[in-house]
Amino acid sequence: MQIKEDKQGDVMVVTVTEHLDSATSSIFESRLLGLVERGERRIVVDCGLLDYVNSAGLKVFLLAAKRLEPLGGKLVLCALAPSVLMIFEMIGFTRIMKITATREDALQVLRGDAPAV
Amino acid sequence: MHEGSITIRLSADVHEIERLNRLVRHFGELHEIPSRALYAVNLALDEVVTNVVLHGYENSEGQEVKVRMETNGEDLRSEVEDGGREFNPLNAPLPDLTAALDERALGGLGIHLVRSLMDRVEYRREGSKNVLTMRKRFR
Repeated sequence: MQIKEDKQGDVMVVTVTEHLDSATSSIFESRLLGLVERGERRIVVDCGLLDYVNSAGLKVFLLAAKRLEPLGGKLVLCALAPSVLMIFEMIGFTRIMKITATREDALQVLRGDAPAV
Repeated sequence: MHEGSITIRLSADVHEIERLNRLVRHFGELHEIPSRALYAVNLALDEVVTNVVLHGYENSEGQEVKVRMETNGEDLRSEVEDGGREFNPLNAPLPDLTAALDERALGGLGIHLVRSLMDRVEYRREGSKNVLTMRKRFR
């Protein structure tokens, strides 16, 4: 797993690659939640190069989305591989998280949002 | 597609999961298991073994988890055997998939995935062992 951060205006784009599993999810969790703690409110996670996620990884996305919501922030995921998207659907996350096909769409969703108070 | 089986012995250690995943994928490729079915079995085994390793033991040192996979060219059957505390994952409460974001519970995701990904999941207690069997059809 590799994690990259790329600030684009007031949106933080996080790229996570390869395997998000029990061995790697705690690292991803501290990075993602660390961003929220440091004040990032609009976060995109680009999953275009993510090919495997288990429940430990899924939990990190849920935690981050839950933490951002009461802060007026938002998490948007983009570019999920079909096998990964299937898992998100199976676990009901497509109902509670914004998921877009491309990074551009994700950025548009967040830039269209009213500014966080 | 070919018939065959494999038995994998793992130390009860979370770092063994990566080795398990590699062996599962290797077995699947050798036996020409369709990739969707293989992905499902790989993930289900990951969830079950991770749960055993993280929660099954008072002290996991020196403990072993045995995974067996077998295919007859029509389905892939897997079995996970452990000597941890008695635990039937099929009795675990299911997450409420319709709950709003702020009410979604963090637990229960793994076993829900296992049940959704597999065609059949059965648990039995055999002496001092938990045995979970799973079946995934692919033709």
